[in-house]
Amino acid sequence: MSDTMTVIKTENVKKIYSDNGLPVKAVNGIDLTINEKEFTAIVGPSGSGKTTFLNVISGLDKATEGKVWLNGKLISEMSGKELSDFRRDNIGFIFQAYNLIPVLTVEENIEYIMLLQNVPKEERHQRVMDILEDVGLKGFEDRKPPRLSGGQQQRVAIARAMVSKPVLILADEPTANLDSETGAELLDMMRELNQKHSMTFLFSTHDQMIMDRATRLVILKDGQVDEDRVKS
Amino acid sequence: MLMFKIAFRNIFRQKRRTIFTALTIFGGFVLAAFSIGWADGSYTFIINMFTRNRLGHIQIHYKDYLNQPSIYKTISNYEEVAEKLDDMDHIESWTPRLFAAGLLSLHDQSTGAQLTGIQPEKENQATRFRQKIIKGELFEKADHKTVLGKGLARVLQANVGDSVVFISQAADGSMANDIYEVCGILESGDSMSDRMAFYLHLQDAQDLMVLYGQIHEIAVIVDELGRVDMMTDRLRDAFTNEDLTVEPWQEFAKSFYHAMKADMEGMWIMLIVIMLIVAVGVLNTVLMSVLERTREYGLLKAMGTKPVQIFKLVLYQVNILTFFSCLLGIALSIILNYWLSKDGITLPNAFTYGGMEFKHMYTTVNLRSILLPLITVFFTAVIVGIFPAIRAAKNDPAQSMRTH
Ligand SMILES: Nc1ncnc2c1ncn2[C@@H]1O[C@H](COP(=O)(O)OP(=O)(O)O)[C@@H](O)[C@H]1O
Ligand SMILES: [Mg+2]
Repeated sequence: MSDTMTVIKTENVKKIYSDNGLPVKAVNGIDLTINEKEFTAIVGPSGSGKTTFLNVISGLDKATEGKVWLNGKLISEMSGKELSDFRRDNIGFIFQAYNLIPVLTVEENIEYIMLLQNVPKEERHQRVMDILEDVGLKGFEDRKPPRLSGGQQQRVAIARAMVSKPVLILADEPTANLDSETGAELLDMMRELNQKHSMTFLFSTHDQMIMDRATRLVILKDGQVDEDRVKS
Repeated sequence: MLMFKIAFRNIFRQKRRTIFTALTIFGGFVLAAFSIGWADGSYTFIINMFTRNRLGHIQIHYKDYLNQPSIYKTISNYEEVAEKLDDMDHIESWTPRLFAAGLLSLHDQSTGAQLTGIQPEKENQATRFRQKIIKGELFEKADHKTVLGKGLARVLQANVGDSVVFISQAADGSMANDIYEVCGILESGDSMSDRMAFYLHLQDAQDLMVLYGQIHEIAVIVDELGRVDMMTDRLRDAFTNEDLTVEPWQEFAKSFYHAMKADMEGMWIMLIVIMLIVAVGVLNTVLMSVLERTREYGLLKAMGTKPVQIFKLVLYQVNILTFFSCLLGIALSIILNYWLSKDGITLPNAFTYGGMEFKHMYTTVNLRSILLPLITVFFTAVIVGIFPAIRAAKNDPAQSMRTH
């Protein structure tokens, strides 16, 4: 292995759904390696397999075939219980929408995973405050999500995903519900955090303006990698 | 704790639905508590009326007098028995009686009569005897006066001041007959027994029947109906070696007791109805909220929340709602049952039971009327909550977090 650490490695990953008895090859044999600190976009039209591939990488979904290593661990063989803890400790999730628990405040949402991890109270609070500063939401800690704008909610989601310092941040179309300006701002912020904290980001999109901000593009077509391009 | 916090806050999200469910649980609870309070109150009231009117809660006889009455089966050492009774706690009062059957005549009218010899003060304490006298008054000492039942007085066309003749056979085999002056007419509420009722002072009765110092029965009134069984045991212990038989009202008034018991069975049907009301209300709400929050449970799971924790989260919501609804239910039930235990309810139609007429009914506040609904409601809510909770726990985040 080289001096750059591999975060994700997939080997001939397939996910075949059955749609009324007919097989749907959502992911059809993907070999991909993602290294530390990369800022990669998975790109492709709707139905090309982006969500399915991300779900298989994170272990939310099980691959029909193939192997997935995350941080050196073969997660495609893990049991559900093992996987649940592994996910909690190694992956930060950002979904397209519904990222936050509406009855919890911003601070409570962000500290949720740390609570599951039994991080002491003072440390939790300190880390929430630091990350809120990073995402530009200082002073919003006691707000509840319904009283935040869409962009602010996604920023809280980023803070929540990053706060427990996972090895990988997975974001499935994080900007799809935002207008393009807010989406671009969000991406710029993610890129900034990617550099500042040396964190690995893998996100999906079908928006041209978002792809432009990625440092590496993995283009999917019918569940397969059509093109893998690293930008300077 | 974290799950509890989320559960607690979730309850206030769908206010209208929460209120509706809470009202269902609350309503079910109060209905159950009131029904039990009402049933228990009524039964206590009816049993007390029945037993305190004449029979007493517990009766003491010589051997098998109750099954095969005989003038010879007497309690001869009744002063000793009396002393022991006076020393016991929880005995409100007791009264000695002597019985005999005979023929009662006035002018040319005669009819069968049941002689009961009583001590006026003791009998009055135990069975409020004076209140039952509708004409004239109760004799105070043994001076050949009698109180007649209303029906008996009518048959003989007797009135206060008349002299009646009683004829029977005394214990020594001699003819027992004497003249007594009617000093009062009594209506006990039990018209059957009033047709035969011929009351004398205990001493007059003992003289007439040649049973000096002897009686046939002691009727005991206990301070609370609920203590009857305990006191029966205690009396049995106290009188084991004296050839005395101690029986509670359930035994000497068997048919009345069985009628009461049969009535109480109806309560179970009511509890099942309430379980159904609560079950439907809770199931509907919880299932709806679980279906609506599929994404939230998916998110929690994606972040590493365990299925058990999500299961708990849903059941907490059910339990918190049930808890507060029951708390309100307990408050209202106690107020309602207490209020109606004081003021009572006037029945639209008076009814008769055990030969007595009832116009008012009273509820009661007891532990049972709170505990039984509480157990029923919680049990139902939790059972019904398990299904949606499992559903939420099984949530598949890969599916529920998809946006299309
Ligand atoms: N649960 C499922 N059952 C059957 N087919 C599915 C299921 N989930 C996704 N698919 C199909 O898999 C393909 C890839 O879907 P998806 O991964 O969501 O693509 P994308 O995120 O790029 O839009 C699509 O054709 C979709 O219809
Ligand atoms: Mg998708």
